[in-house]
Amino acid sequence: MNSPSAPALPDVPSGMGQLWRRISAIARSTPTGSIGLVIIALFALLALFAPWLAPFDPVKPFPTSVLARPGTQFLVGTDGNGMDVFSRTIYGARYAFGIAVPVLLFGLVVGVPIGLYAGYRGGWVDEITLRVMDAIRVFPSIILALAIVSATGQSLANVVLVIGMLDVPVFARLVRAEVLAMRAGGFVEAAVNAGNPTWRILFVHLLPNCIRGAMAQMPIRMAWAVRVSATLAFIGVGIQAPTPEWGAMIRQGADYMISGEWWVSIVPGVALVTLIIGFSMFGDGLEELLDPRRQKGSR
Amino acid sequence: MSGAPGLAAPLLRVHDLHVHFVARDRFNHLRTARALNGVSLQIRRGQIFGLVGETGAGKSLTAHAVMQLLREPARRVKGEIRFEDQDLTELTEDAMNRLRGDRIAMVVQSPKTSLDPLTRVGEQIARIHRVHRKASEPQAREKALQMLRAVGIPDPESRAQAWPHELSGGMAQRVLIAMALVNDAQLIIADEPSTGLDVTVQAQILDLLRDTVRTRQMASLLITHDLGVVAQYCDQVGVMFAGSLVEAGPVAEVFTRPRHPYTRHLLDSSPDRIVLGQSQNRAGTAPDLYNLPPGCPYQNRCARVQQVCRGPLMDLPEDADHGVRCHFPEAA
Amino acid sequence: MTSTFFLVLRRAVLSLPILLGVLLFTFMLVRVGNNDPVGMLAGPTASAKEIDAIRAAYKLDQPVLVQFVEYVKLVFKGDLGMSWLSGKPVLGELLMRLPATLELVLLGSLVGGLVGVWAGMQSALNANRRFDHWSRFLSLLGFGMPTIFLGLALIFVFFFLLQWAPPPMGRIDLMINSPKLVTGSYLIDSLIAGDRAAALSAAGRLVLPCLVVAIVFAAPLIKQTRAIALDVMASDYVRYARAAGLPKPMVRRMIWRNASVPVLTYGATELTALFGAASVLELIFSWGGVSQFGLTAILKGDFAVVQGYVLLMSVIAIVIFAITDLLILKLEPRAAAGAR
Repeated sequence: MNSPSAPALPDVPSGMGQLWRRISAIARSTPTGSIGLVIIALFALLALFAPWLAPFDPVKPFPTSVLARPGTQFLVGTDGNGMDVFSRTIYGARYAFGIAVPVLLFGLVVGVPIGLYAGYRGGWVDEITLRVMDAIRVFPSIILALAIVSATGQSLANVVLVIGMLDVPVFARLVRAEVLAMRAGGFVEAAVNAGNPTWRILFVHLLPNCIRGAMAQMPIRMAWAVRVSATLAFIGVGIQAPTPEWGAMIRQGADYMISGEWWVSIVPGVALVTLIIGFSMFGDGLEELLDPRRQKGSR
Repeated sequence: MSGAPGLAAPLLRVHDLHVHFVARDRFNHLRTARALNGVSLQIRRGQIFGLVGETGAGKSLTAHAVMQLLREPARRVKGEIRFEDQDLTELTEDAMNRLRGDRIAMVVQSPKTSLDPLTRVGEQIARIHRVHRKASEPQAREKALQMLRAVGIPDPESRAQAWPHELSGGMAQRVLIAMALVNDAQLIIADEPSTGLDVTVQAQILDLLRDTVRTRQMASLLITHDLGVVAQYCDQVGVMFAGSLVEAGPVAEVFTRPRHPYTRHLLDSSPDRIVLGQSQNRAGTAPDLYNLPPGCPYQNRCARVQQVCRGPLMDLPEDADHGVRCHFPEAA
Repeated sequence: MTSTFFLVLRRAVLSLPILLGVLLFTFMLVRVGNNDPVGMLAGPTASAKEIDAIRAAYKLDQPVLVQFVEYVKLVFKGDLGMSWLSGKPVLGELLMRLPATLELVLLGSLVGGLVGVWAGMQSALNANRRFDHWSRFLSLLGFGMPTIFLGLALIFVFFFLLQWAPPPMGRIDLMINSPKLVTGSYLIDSLIAGDRAAALSAAGRLVLPCLVVAIVFAAPLIKQTRAIALDVMASDYVRYARAAGLPKPMVRRMIWRNASVPVLTYGATELTALFGAASVLELIFSWGGVSQFGLTAILKGDFAVVQGYVLLMSVIAIVIFAITDLLILKLEPRAAAGAR
């Protein structure tokens, strides 16, 4: 039963003069997304300007001030090696983005073409791709990542590759679904009949239309990448002390939780959680914005 | 359109109905679309009233408004809806819910998706009966079988056990009609009931509807964009454009002597007529309901438009046989 | 009911190719980069005799395909190799610790599942009102908190600050004897044995980790249940039910029933992922479950155990999905129609 849908909304006038008004209007329409973006931007700034923002060298130990409480000298105290937690947390932002961004790129660069091709080709190519993607997707990812990284050798590059590989099925599936929808609409058939070579159909015709669904997922996948890499580092895989990575820092501080030196774990933990929530909120906001129902004025 | 004087009051009387859509666009600006602007119509027992118009003219919206099923962002801002001499707009939701599925029923365009996928078809009919008439289980089951037979479904006992996805479109539509009739509804609102069905099945469904209306002396509001269907099955017709009912009257009258330029345009738009170049009005895109011009909604496409057309538009005269909302209607 | 039996049988058969794929994966795991798997399986402390024994058992002198067949044969016989760390057979070690993990995950997911689905449903029914905003906020928080942080934060608050929870070290107080082994779950076994002190201690130790599991499970469930319920509420059949005057409770029941299948599917996926989150918790709380054992093996390079652990986790995932599929076949009339 088709309920009468709201009439389509008129197009908004474009032009540079309107740009700021548009942006602020969009921002106001999704408070979650805006806050998320601000958080991400803040952490990105931290990562970029770490050397200027951090009061101390993150790997410089102060043997006389081991496990110092938060105070005037060390803003949030020092850890078990006497290193300043505040500085280390700021530098940790570099590792967070340094892993999340390449992971996302890997997932996109590998996953999107796979999804495009599988959806386009159909048949057994599609079937097999789907099965393989599903198999990767349903397995508990942390365990999978751990096993592979430990087997292939513990390096940052491996961590990025493995986590990126886990993103591939997500994007592939999304893009494939969009391609299938476009096939159902006869779009692909038309392009083929017009004599386009395959690569052109995939990347010039299909890609721009299918990327929309993937876009909303990007911040969410980045949140997840930050989360998993921190967890891996916590368990002890991929990143070695004294690297100022949040997961490793939390691990180091875990023992001190019971004896009361809470700042060693909690400070990087809060940073970690905040960035993850920032990505999630931004992803949620993006989802809301890109939801086609919203633009039609909803039902 | 009241027919011969001295007849009983109409079963359904819609008067000056206005419905607006209020929404925020993606840039968070508030936009109001005037989706229905002063719709008035009457339907009497034994009549099938056809409501025609382009997509977006407001036909379905009128139906939903009558059923009091408008949801945000749609809002009724003005207007009276009298059914069996009760103003539906004054009823509580509970009271209206008791009427729905009982005295007023709806049949919709996509029957297969309108049935609960997890309940067997017979049970779906039975539960409407149980809910409104407090019938017992065996009574309701029996009534459901009865209705399946009445709508011409063969082998009702086994059909009643079917799941909705197992039915064909035509069969599912019959089930919806059965659901509409199970409590002896007085008014059936059929919203494009035959669109999407095979031509032969279309005819069967519409025949069924017409027979039911005649024999039970009910009434029906039939919404369609198919003029042929209206010509064949309806007694009265109302033509909608951009949220206004621009012309209404007996089918034969309106179709042979249309008075509103849009009606003329609709009739002229049948394929053979266009070829002969007999239409003088401009075709065009549907008007933007967020920015309707003041006055007659048809002014930008009408060949006869004058300055006065941009001023306030008169209401549809309610007791005229063949009413039209136009400053320059064609001679009767 | 023979029809159910055949359904189960068919599902089991369909799972075999996936199982083979998993076996291939674990097989390759120790041969990655042309490593001689002997080194990984035997461990650094192995004697020459042990190395030879492993070579013979796995037919490592033969071509890869033969090795794989041998590996599969051994697995099906129940021989998953030996852990060089503990010197005991892998299968036994894993099975011994499995109940602890199951206890944690199942209990936590039960609580988390009930709360999550209920909250998600209520959110959808009250969309954009206060309850909805609160539950979406909490869901976002739960999403954002990595298990590591959540576990540690709760320990800090409830153990260190408030001193309500027992120390996060194991499943039962060190001073209390563990109950006689029946199911492997300390809580259940001590209840069976009537040992009150043990039961209380076990229950107390369960609270924090289960709470974490519940939160981790509930957060995405709230979000997804809400989305699914909203979709169902906007569907043609719900709208039609309203047009037919069906009373609100009946419509609500219709929404629940139609949402249950997609929610179930989603829940199954989340449940398999939950084992991953729980593995980290086992480390934090020294739970002694199979994941702590497996993760330690990964860190120390005890690859026979790693193989067995990954295999076990995959089997659990396969079983969860098989059960879900069967449940869906029962609940959803359209599924049977689409079955091959």
